[in-house]
This record gives sequence, structure tokens and C-alpha cells, in this order.
Amino acid sequence: MRLLTQGKGGWRYQLSRAEAQALRSLLRLFPTTATVAVRITHTDTDPKAVEREKLLNDSLAQHREELRRKAQHLIGGDRLKVWGDRYVLSLGLDDREVLLQILNDIRVESWRALDQPEDLDPLPNPSESERVHHTRMSLAGYFECMLLNLEETGQAATEQ
Amino acid sequence: MPSISEPHTIPAPTIENDTRSDDELAPTYYVVCWNDPVNFMDYVTHVFMKVFGWQRQKAAKHMLEVHEQGKSVLIREGAEKAEFYVHQLQGYKLQATMEPAE
Repeated sequence: MRLLTQGKGGWRYQLSRAEAQALRSLLRLFPTTATVAVRITHTDTDPKAVEREKLLNDSLAQHREELRRKAQHLIGGDRLKVWGDRYVLSLGLDDREVLLQILNDIRVESWRALDQPEDLDPLPNPSESERVHHTRMSLAGYFECMLLNLEETGQAATEQ
Repeated sequence: MPSISEPHTIPAPTIENDTRSDDELAPTYYVVCWNDPVNFMDYVTHVFMKVFGWQRQKAAKHMLEVHEQGKSVLIREGAEKAEFYVHQLQGYKLQATMEPAE
């Protein structure tokens, strides 16, 4: 994956066929895990905290559903186009932010499904399920790094 | 010869009641971000910039605090705003909570 151009209109990335297939697969399957409830506080004993926590989890479930719709939109539109034997991914400002959130959701939820290990290296003898979660976590992380870092390395020609 | 002024009474000072607004008296919360091994450092910096509108330098400083000290207090706000920020940060999958400030 490499950055072709960036400008006010957004970003254009070149992807190999394998990268395009992997990204499509991640987006098509999203969300890959059930929503996990989170805590809103560690120390607040106010009864209102219970209500706040419920509201937070309801809001996160809605947000995830919204991301799921946007994930389908990203692969359903013309953002990922064949270009010779490669692909070009075109992302607007909002698209890139949404894609980052989706990829990080996949990464974090796969990590949770693996029981939140401190060490992110592959397990020595993983079960099929662990292997799948680990692969998704790594793949999502790969694309996240590309989106975040390619811009900073100044690889691309800047569009006006 | 200097004249002698008539004595006059200075009006008693008006002691106003506590003028702080309800908002100022309401409890405040720290929005705290906790460390985890899965979120990338660049991603955390990016999220802080997006959610709080911070410059990269400030966002990176808080990201390093999270990474090195296990947590960072990001901001102190009233309940409603603190809750809003926690929703935003959790939406990005960062482990954020709101803790009473007093």
C-alpha cells in the first residue's frame, strides 16, 4: 500500500490485489465480534453513574451499527477501483476517519476476543478461532498504520 | 488654617451572597485515558487531536503519559461534557472513563 496523492479532496492509495482483497474482506465482515459492555468510571459511586454507563453502552452500540452501514458503503461504492493489476483506494476526509475507526474496532475487539493479551505476538499453538482473531487484529493494524503513517512520511505528491 | 471636615459616616459594605453559579458548584470530573497494549501510539495521538482539537505536540504529550504512566488525565469538566468526551473516546475504542474530581 502506498499513498499516491493527498489534497483537500482527500487521499488516493495504491493497493496490491492481496491488500485490496484483505481490506474488502475486513470491511465486509465488520463487525466480527459481539459488542462488549464497557465501564464509564472506576471510582464514581454516584447512582447516576449506572445510568450514565447504560447510556454509554447504548450509544456505542448505535455508533457501531452506524460504522457497519458505512463499512458497506465504503466497499459498495467506487472508492476501491481496479487499476491495471493493482487497485486505487480513494478516500474523502470523512471516509478516512470512518475507515480508521472501523479498522481500530476490528483490532481492539479481536484483541478482546483473544482475552486481552499483553503480548500481541501469535500464540504458539493457536486454536482456529484464536488464529482468525489474531489475523484480523494484525491485518486491521497493518491498514491502520498505513493510513496514519504514509501521510507523515511525505511519500505522495500533494494536490492543490 | 486647615479646615476641619465634618465627620461623615461611611456606608457599610454590602456583603453579597456567594455569586458562583450552579454550574460552578456542580461536581466536576476528570476524563482519564487508560493504557492498553493494542491501540497504536499514533492512533491515540490522532484521536486526541480529533476529539479535543489539540495540536499534535499536546496530544502526543498525553499519549506518552498514557503509555509510560498507565493513564493520563485529559481534561476536567462538568458531568455532561465529561460524559460527552468519554463517549467520543470510547467510540474510537480508547479506554476512557470519567472520575469524580473531588
